[in-house]
Amino acid sequence: MEPDPEKSFVQEVCLPFLLRTQNANGGWGFQAQSESRVEPTCWALRALHAAAVPPPEEAMARGFRFLRASQLADGSWPSTSGERRGCWVTSLCCWLLLAEKDSSVSVAAGLQWLCRDWPRDTAPWRRILSKLSPQRKLHPVNDSYRGWGWTPGTSSWVEPTSFALISLEHAGSRVLPSNARQRRELATAMLYDRMCPGGGWNCGNPRVYGVPGEPLVVPTVWALIALRHDPARQENIESMDWLERNLTNIRSGGSLALTRICLDTYGRRWPVSAPTLRDLYERNEFLGNVQVAAWSSLAMSGPSQWLNANAAPAKAI
Amino acid sequence: MREQTLVPTFQRPPSKVVIRRVADYEQDLFFLLQESLAIFNLPVKDKTVLLKPNLVGLDPLGVMNTHPAVVAAARECFLRLGAAQVLIGDGPAMDRDTEAIVESVRLRDYTGPLAGSFVDLNVDDVERVVLATHASRLNELYLPKTVLGVDFLVSMPKLKTHHWAGVTLSLKNMFGIVPGSCYGWPKNVLHWAGIHRAILDINAAARPDFAIVDGIMGMEGNGPIQGTPKASGVLILGNDPVAVDATCCRIMGLVPERVQYLSAAATLLGHLKPDKIQQLGESLESVRIPFAVLREFRTLADN
Repeated sequence: MEPDPEKSFVQEVCLPFLLRTQNANGGWGFQAQSESRVEPTCWALRALHAAAVPPPEEAMARGFRFLRASQLADGSWPSTSGERRGCWVTSLCCWLLLAEKDSSVSVAAGLQWLCRDWPRDTAPWRRILSKLSPQRKLHPVNDSYRGWGWTPGTSSWVEPTSFALISLEHAGSRVLPSNARQRRELATAMLYDRMCPGGGWNCGNPRVYGVPGEPLVVPTVWALIALRHDPARQENIESMDWLERNLTNIRSGGSLALTRICLDTYGRRWPVSAPTLRDLYERNEFLGNVQVAAWSSLAMSGPSQWLNANAAPAKAI
Repeated sequence: MREQTLVPTFQRPPSKVVIRRVADYEQDLFFLLQESLAIFNLPVKDKTVLLKPNLVGLDPLGVMNTHPAVVAAARECFLRLGAAQVLIGDGPAMDRDTEAIVESVRLRDYTGPLAGSFVDLNVDDVERVVLATHASRLNELYLPKTVLGVDFLVSMPKLKTHHWAGVTLSLKNMFGIVPGSCYGWPKNVLHWAGIHRAILDINAAARPDFAIVDGIMGMEGNGPIQGTPKASGVLILGNDPVAVDATCCRIMGLVPERVQYLSAAATLLGHLKPDKIQQLGESLESVRIPFAVLREFRTLADN
């Protein structure tokens, strides 16, 4: 039997690229020879764990040490070394480290920070001001729903909210902050409120100046994955339909890999006519992006075991 | 490494801005740009140049992003002027899939392979920059090392109106250097800091050395993404981004002094007043084409 060419591509190109681009401090940058950052390190580690056979234990141990060493005193993680304020990558770190045996204290502190971090635009006094503002009709969203921002003290957006939801969903009750349930309910409602008319999500502006926003692949995929436990809900179906229809428009490895992950997660068939990762790689080599190589590896790692909340603690990294 | 010292505008020599009439993207843009750039005697020999187009979203029709034909022509011109390397870089603000955007505009078809020449500024290595101007409350920003490290920075926006800032030209285009990997998509921290003030801080930290505005096909109304295409038939270029933006406003039938950030930029970043801008090429009057603006910005109009 012929090997799956897409799986071969991951084994021949993506995984060696990931192993080759690990920095001496254990982390990964967004590109080869760039400085280690939390976000690409999380994705590289997740990809190596899910797709490499056997997982490279020594490389992964160094990666986890980099992540633990990057945590700030308040429990959060910064986007780049030297930055003194944590941000949305805290969700990615917590989600990854939940399955790592030496990180429970780090994760608990990270989740505490996450649940303390409220977006500023929906603070009660701001909501009163916004009701009086003439600008309100230009960008109509329900501001009683609250998710997470990219950085503290800003507004709720789709991607950081999705990652926070995924992270909290995977956490056991032992490490969950007391308000985690309330945060999840508000954030879930926020995501549905921000869906674009007709399905899919963009960064979080479903309508501006009366014009419907156009959905984008990346936020649509992460919102759908955060909301995947309600697959029969009309909004999920409409958004999956949009994602499926959009497949023929995809021009990048990142969007293709994420679409595949999402279709697999929802049990939808991957069309034979879809573009291939290898073809897209040959155009621009994914612009050398480590994260895209990691997403591609995850896309071809089979049913989304790494997204299964119940499986994570048992399958300790 | 570029000289970052800010010079008060009253100490700056007059600026030069060239306006060229261009019917469409099929014209010989290389020749037009080469002829226009020759006026400036630009110090780019053996230097690294970064072209910073405006890439905001998926744009198969070529109406919201700087057209790749203009980018490719500029790249070729700077190479002919002796630049050692000409990079192209941007960090789209609303969508993290930069590769999808550059593919949707067919940049590769015009410039050749992107690996090695295109820099996704959203995921570049970053360096902490203390913002000396304190126009906003940001105090500091992490900015891409590529932007801070090149010798010559060229802002290459599209001629567009903007639903929050009034207009988006060579100064507003510099929002794209703020890395999404640090600040997200959109770069919401800049909106919280105040768009107009953040534009000033960013441009003071990384002032473009030159600006080339793609006004061949512009956008009016609800820009920068959902506006209406506006065939304007001009390229505007110059050695002072404020003067270039002021000229663009005048072409668009808008009063640059009424654009909040442009008015403030005139103190430190460049010239706004017509008597300090040497206008070359076509006359302003001959290419003037009023742009529609949203109701919130109707006071910007010059009539």
